Amino acid sequence: MSPGETGSGRSRPEPAGLPRQAPQRVLRLGKHAFEPGRLLVMAIVNRTPDSFYRPGVTWDPAAALERVHQVVAEGADIVDIGGVPARPGDDVDVAEEIRRTIPFVTAVRAAYPDVVISVDTWRYEVGRQACAAGADLLNDTWGGWDPRLAEVAAEFGAGVVCSHAGRLPPRTRPFRVAYRDVVDDVLNVTLSLASRALEAGVEHDRILIDPAHDFGKNTWHSLEVTRRLADLAATGWPVLVSVSNKDFVGETLDAPVEDRLAGTLAATAVCAWLGARVFRAHQVRENRDVLSMVSAIRGDIPPARVVRGLA
Amino acid sequence: MITSAALCPSPPLLYPGITGRQAVVPELRAACAEAAGRLVRDETEEIVVVGPAGTTGTWAPASRLDPSLFASAMASTGTPSLPLSLGLGAMLLDEAGYRGRRRLQAIGQDEPASTCARLGAELEMSAARTALLVMGDGSARRTLKAPGYLDPRAAAFDSAVESAVRAGDLDALQRLDPILARELMVTGRPAWQVLSGAMRSSRLRTEILYCDAPFGVAYLVAQVQPA
Repeated sequence: MSPGETGSGRSRPEPAGLPRQAPQRVLRLGKHAFEPGRLLVMAIVNRTPDSFYRPGVTWDPAAALERVHQVVAEGADIVDIGGVPARPGDDVDVAEEIRRTIPFVTAVRAAYPDVVISVDTWRYEVGRQACAAGADLLNDTWGGWDPRLAEVAAEFGAGVVCSHAGRLPPRTRPFRVAYRDVVDDVLNVTLSLASRALEAGVEHDRILIDPAHDFGKNTWHSLEVTRRLADLAATGWPVLVSVSNKDFVGETLDAPVEDRLAGTLAATAVCAWLGARVFRAHQVRENRDVLSMVSAIRGDIPPARVVRGLA
Repeated sequence: MITSAALCPSPPLLYPGITGRQAVVPELRAACAEAAGRLVRDETEEIVVVGPAGTTGTWAPASRLDPSLFASAMASTGTPSLPLSLGLGAMLLDEAGYRGRRRLQAIGQDEPASTCARLGAELEMSAARTALLVMGDGSARRTLKAPGYLDPRAAAFDSAVESAVRAGDLDALQRLDPILARELMVTGRPAWQVLSGAMRSSRLRTEILYCDAPFGVAYLVAQVQPA
């Protein structure tokens, strides 16, 4: 008897092992409205000579614009432009950060009227100029260090990422950090930042939360945040994760920075399965493929082209 | 009285949406839609879908294929599914907008040629102006990547079927070897022999709308009419 003859009507089962999640809402970035279930890649474009991953590769403006062309072609939804490395190092003052990032934001906006532009900064002066130059999102990786950044986002109708940086000042490394419950702290911090952003006037559907892997966390903490990412998704706020090639991947696999792609993609897959919606990444094509695969496994998108067994 | 007939293959990939985000071989779907559309426009009183299945028998006209059997993400019809061949035939009639009388006739995969021919003759004796939608595929062993792997005899078998249909020589279909057909994973043999039994006395005009094996399974779409 062929499968077509079994004749039992079946309804679609819920995916096993998926935690119960709060209803997710539309995420608005720039002129776009992204439905829940649509997973977004945020491509990292560093305007720095000294970031940890391939330092200086997009320090030259032409090389940086070329990288934007590449990541857009590879399926990036968001371009995240940063002018100051997260790690400690040579001082980058406001003027220098503006010089590094704002002309570049203008250039990207001119080349791509529709791509979502994010600027990775903790400084409201930079955020203001970025929004004026066309940025749609302020990626406040240092956890609301300057409350005026959310006010700038509100002023321009931009979005904001509310991150958990372990209450550390910008450009510092965790030193003997301890949490009774790291996820609990992540929830407290990100939710209160989200409330603060709302009060500042940022639109409800333009606010994201980010547990900020490695920021104010050791590798155990980052692994636990990943394992329990569903607790963040359960808040209903769209969750951004930034795991790409980070030290928690390196320490977990005992792998140098150039050998962390597989570990990164594993973390991406788990975060996607558990409900994250935005993925900040260096390797766009690989992350895009992982997200498409996870979306199809979840049943959120159909596979691209199915013929096997159906011919 | 048989006014016309159409031959269509029955791969699940004909079902809309089942191949995912991309349409696969749209020209095959278009050819099937054209063949079914011609039947529907033929002002028949009844269309009989003839399709191979596990056993011979008729199915309730309201029955449909349940695509969730093949793709669990697709909505289930919640009712017992037609066999694949009849289900796709019913779908083609639905897509062509057919609302008239329909009979869903399964023919057992292992029925001998004589039984198939007798069923065809019974259909032919109907007083109503009847059209046949004959579902079935050629060999699934046409290439190394085919579902049944390559069988060097497959191309000649499919070519013989195509030649018979192209020439309007449906008697030749009566002589298809059931054992070889089974070995070559040909599903269409009994349905084609029903067609042969139903139209063997007529002089025929035929048109081949599609004939290829893009995935190593032979698909034939054709129209057959009394000349």
